[in-house]
Amino acid sequence: MEPAGAGARDEEDLVDGGIGDVDGLDDVGADELRSDVDLLLRVWQNEKCAPEILPYEATLVERVREQIQLMEENIEAFATEIKDDLMLSLYRMDVNRTLFLLRSYLRARLHKIERFPIHIVDNPELWDRLSEHEQEYTNKYCEILAKHFEKTVLIRLPDQYGSMLKQTSLASEENDMITQPQLNTFVFCRSRGAIGSFQLDDKGDEAVDLMTDDLYILRYKPVRKLLVTDKIELI
Amino acid sequence: MAMFGKKGAELVREAKQAQATVDQFRPFNKDLFEQVIKETEEHYSHLQERMSQIRISEPSQGVDPNFVGGCAQHRSVLRNKRCLLAYVNARLGKIQQLRWDLGAVLPDDIAENLSATERTFFQGYSDALGSYMNDINLDLTVDATPPKDPYVQIRVIGNLGEVLLDDQETSLLPNSIHFMTRTEAEPLVLQGLLEIYMG
Repeated sequence: MEPAGAGARDEEDLVDGGIGDVDGLDDVGADELRSDVDLLLRVWQNEKCAPEILPYEATLVERVREQIQLMEENIEAFATEIKDDLMLSLYRMDVNRTLFLLRSYLRARLHKIERFPIHIVDNPELWDRLSEHEQEYTNKYCEILAKHFEKTVLIRLPDQYGSMLKQTSLASEENDMITQPQLNTFVFCRSRGAIGSFQLDDKGDEAVDLMTDDLYILRYKPVRKLLVTDKIELI
Repeated sequence: MAMFGKKGAELVREAKQAQATVDQFRPFNKDLFEQVIKETEEHYSHLQERMSQIRISEPSQGVDPNFVGGCAQHRSVLRNKRCLLAYVNARLGKIQQLRWDLGAVLPDDIAENLSATERTFFQGYSDALGSYMNDINLDLTVDATPPKDPYVQIRVIGNLGEVLLDDQETSLLPNSIHFMTRTEAEPLVLQGLLEIYMG
C-alpha cells in the first residue's frame, strides 16, 4: 500500500465521484453518513450483480484496507490489555466480515476478467476500469490463454482457421470469436432517488417511473448509465 | 467419413458432463480429440478439392454444386474448431478452479490427468494469480464463504507438532480437536492437514 494516498481521506472526492452532477437528486446527504464498509457493501453488491466489469473503487479499497489494519492493531492492543473474550471475538468478527467483503469484491472482478479477458483488453473504456495490478494480471492471463489455445488446437488447424479471434481469416473481417458479457440480461435494482420517467429503449416506447427505494427488474443495458452515476444499486 | 460434426458434439458433451461432476478431474480425451482434428483435416482437404473444381458459371446455369459442397465442408471445419476450443476451454475453467481449491501445488493423482500443456497453463495461471495476490498483499483464496463465526472447531489430521497460532504456541497432535480462528485454519484445511469438525 502506498503511504502517500493524499486524497485517500478526501470524502468530498468520493461523493463527487459517486454521485456526479446529479440534477434534482437532493438526498446526497445520506451518502456522507454511510461508512466505508457500507459503501464497500454496495460496491460489492453491484459488482456481483452486473454482467460487465465496473470501475475499480481504488480510493475506497485503499481506505477500507487502512481501516482493517487499524482495527487489527487495536484488537492486538486490546487483547494484551484487557482479557474480555466476548468483546474480542466481536471485534474479530467485524474485521473478518470486512475482509470477506473485500476479498469477495476482488474475486468477483477477477472472475469477470477471466470470463472476458480479450473483450476487456480490446475495449479502452473497460480497460481503464481495472486497477493497475488487475491490468497486469489480465495481460498475463491473456498470454497464457492464447498460448494454450495455440498449442492445443489452433496450430493443428489449417492456416486460415488458426486464429483465436476470428473463425476464419477468409470470411470474417472483424474478430468474431470474442466472448462478451450479455448486457441484455435482467438485473434486480433499487432506485436510490426519485429519477422519474426513464426510457428503456431508443424508440421511447417503453418507459418506467423510478421512485426512491423501489425495486425493479430491468434489462441491464439501459440502466447501466444510472449504475455508473450511482443513481441505482443492484441487488 | 462418418456423420459431419458427430465427433465434435461428443467432445462437447464430454466437457459438459465433466462440468457437472465437480469432485473429479477427468483425463484429457486424447483419442476423441485427435479424431476430431483428423476429421477437420479431411473436411479441409475436401474443401480445397471442391474449390479447385469450381467453374465460373453464369447465374442462369444455377449454382455450382462444388460451391455448395465446399460451403458444407467449410462450415464443418468451423464447427469442429468451435467444439475443440469449447472442450479445451471447459477444461481450463476447471483447471483454474483447482488453483483456488487446492493451492499452487497439485496432488499427483490430479496432476496426472492434466496434459503437459495443461500443466504449463496451470503453472502460468498459478504464477499470475500468485503475483497478483502478492502485489495487492492479500490472499484471495481464503474466505470463500461469508464468515459466520470467527472461530472454527477443527480436527487435526496430519501431524503438525508445535504451531504458532494466534501468537501462542499450540501443539496440534493428530486427532486432537481445537478451536482456532478461521483465517488460520483455512489454509491448513486446504492442504488437508486439518478438517472442520462438526462435533
